[in-house]
Amino acid sequence: MSSHRLTILIVDDTPTNAKQLEAVAHKLGHATILAGNGEEAVAKFQSGKPDLVIMDIMMPVMDGITAVQHIRALPSEKWTPIIFFSALDQMQDIVRGLEVGGDDYIVKPASLQILRAKINSYARVLSLQQEAQTNAAELRNWRLDAEEQSRLGAHVMARLTDAAGLRDPMIRHFNMPADTFSGDLLCAARAPGEVLNVLLADATGHGLAAALTAMPLTQAFYSMTTKGFPLPSIAEELNRKLKAILPSDRFVAATLASIDVRNHTVEVWNGGNPNALFINAHGEVSMQWASAHPPLGILPDKLFSGVTEMVVFHEAGDLVLCSDGLTEAEDPDGAWLGIQGVRDCLASSNDSDQRFTSLLGGVEAHLAGHAGRDDISAMLVSIPIDRRFLPRFDTLTHAHHGHISEWRMDLSFGAQELRYIDVVPAVLGFVTQVHALKPHQGSLFLIFSELFNNALDHGLLGLGSATKNWIGGFEQYLQQRSERLNGLRQGRIDISFLLHQEETRALLDISMTDTGLGFDFEQIQNNTATLRAENQMAFGRGIALVKKLCEQVVYSGSGNKVWARYLVSDQIIEDDDNGPARTDPAGNTGSELF
Amino acid sequence: MLIANDVNGDRATLKLGGRFDFHSHRDFRSAYEQHLVKAGVREIIIDFGDVDYLDSSALGMLLLLREKCDAAGRSVALSGLKGTVKQVLDIANFGKLFRIQA
Repeated sequence: MSSHRLTILIVDDTPTNAKQLEAVAHKLGHATILAGNGEEAVAKFQSGKPDLVIMDIMMPVMDGITAVQHIRALPSEKWTPIIFFSALDQMQDIVRGLEVGGDDYIVKPASLQILRAKINSYARVLSLQQEAQTNAAELRNWRLDAEEQSRLGAHVMARLTDAAGLRDPMIRHFNMPADTFSGDLLCAARAPGEVLNVLLADATGHGLAAALTAMPLTQAFYSMTTKGFPLPSIAEELNRKLKAILPSDRFVAATLASIDVRNHTVEVWNGGNPNALFINAHGEVSMQWASAHPPLGILPDKLFSGVTEMVVFHEAGDLVLCSDGLTEAEDPDGAWLGIQGVRDCLASSNDSDQRFTSLLGGVEAHLAGHAGRDDISAMLVSIPIDRRFLPRFDTLTHAHHGHISEWRMDLSFGAQELRYIDVVPAVLGFVTQVHALKPHQGSLFLIFSELFNNALDHGLLGLGSATKNWIGGFEQYLQQRSERLNGLRQGRIDISFLLHQEETRALLDISMTDTGLGFDFEQIQNNTATLRAENQMAFGRGIALVKKLCEQVVYSGSGNKVWARYLVSDQIIEDDDNGPARTDPAGNTGSELF
Repeated sequence: MLIANDVNGDRATLKLGGRFDFHSHRDFRSAYEQHLVKAGVREIIIDFGDVDYLDSSALGMLLLLREKCDAAGRSVALSGLKGTVKQVLDIANFGKLFRIQA
């Protein structure tokens, strides 16, 4: 019946009985150990580790009941069934035998058939039990293995997604995973020129698979942000990346936001996340951005839309982004926190810190100690109203080690290319490869983007900057800009960079010429002086910023040509060994803008 | 999740009920698979009238259905949207990916 080969300990003081049992066992294919009394049985049980014990009761030296009590007291890793085989046939004998740890009781004399059947039956049970034990051991190993992998994975994931940008003083955030890994991903980084970009992404499901799904977003987000790419281009690239690697039933809901404190704008792309909220000083939701797109990773490139919604803010407040894990957080009765619950938490305080604490406390209270079903994350960005006319950062010049050889680059963009190329980050990405210019990335971004945007917006697109100055004007301006850019069929912008050395000074000259009508630069320059104090005039503000950062700015032609000189270093130290330029502290300008 | 399957002419309707979430994967797939191969079916309607809850893996299953219908030359539409279900589909902007029937 069973192919499971057992070792059976047979305990009987009558050799004939023992031999008879042994013969039965052998015939069934099992091995045997013989013992002539209880004491011997305990010793052989320990040394021989039998699978099954057949125990007589009345024996010299130590009886079977005492022997079983000893055996059951031994530490043991497996269950060994014991069958009493005794001539004692009273009810109390049988009960006592089972009470001290016997599993079965056969009264002597018994037929060989009964004995065979019992042995076979226990062989089956033992075989099942061993299988269960093997499975349990395997399961335990799997679990230990999985825990170890989880631990390692969580460590690596934490490093990969560790966003130094999230430690920005403007940002508060939490991410409560439903599992070891969170499928919610939060990122923040500074773009060159005072702009803060943030991302809150929520991958389908939760746990490791979801975390892996969201991973590819981090690198693209950081590298494109630090290079100054606009939000729609970042959204398109994130979508392209995910579409290429995810199976068709996986996607990532995401909110991307770009906060420009200098220009008082918040730009949002929301695909599949709950509304992004702007909470003003009174705790009211004064603006919100509903999901306007399907999540990332679903649509092919040509159907995807990176169109963002940009608004101008006129008051300080907190921008709040969250995943649906927050709005769908359930209390013990299964009721959702809801967007209203989130708004109530946020309305309870006027201060960013307390508001954040109130939101976190609110979710925890709602969950009432239970874990969320889904990953729960939120990010709160405190947005100040900045009345400064110019960014608060020093145009420190610093020593440059080594000779600067002349470097120049001339570029010319026609209408066709201007419609789709992100000229500013593309060109600056190249320019800042030059070692001497790298530490100046932040300033160069501000200068170049102002000059280029003037040339494009006011020169080629003929947009007047006056509209920017009244409430709602900026939105209208952006609308017009996008329409005119799409319709741009002629025109050209020429750009030229020249890095050169004059005695001990390193200089970068930037010139730009557009084929537009130009503008009355003398009048703008005069007006700038009067409007400066009120921080009202967007266009004049741009030129004034460039003037502040550059040594010289000269407009010529009809206002369609501009030349700017930027001081890279006034202290060139020509080292003998021509060694690499040392890292300069001013290279951090970008992170000290606020 | 409960699924009632009804074919009327060239239109197959899957009427769903209960929670449509990651546990529904196999049931949902086996409910629509026959309509992808059966001759005569041109349109598959997913009726959410009795669905209480829908999670993101359900959205994933809908995307998979949409892809398979495209490949098999069937059209797919969603109907009976209301309450939470409508909200979840609206937030994900599935109206831009699927035809929605009133």
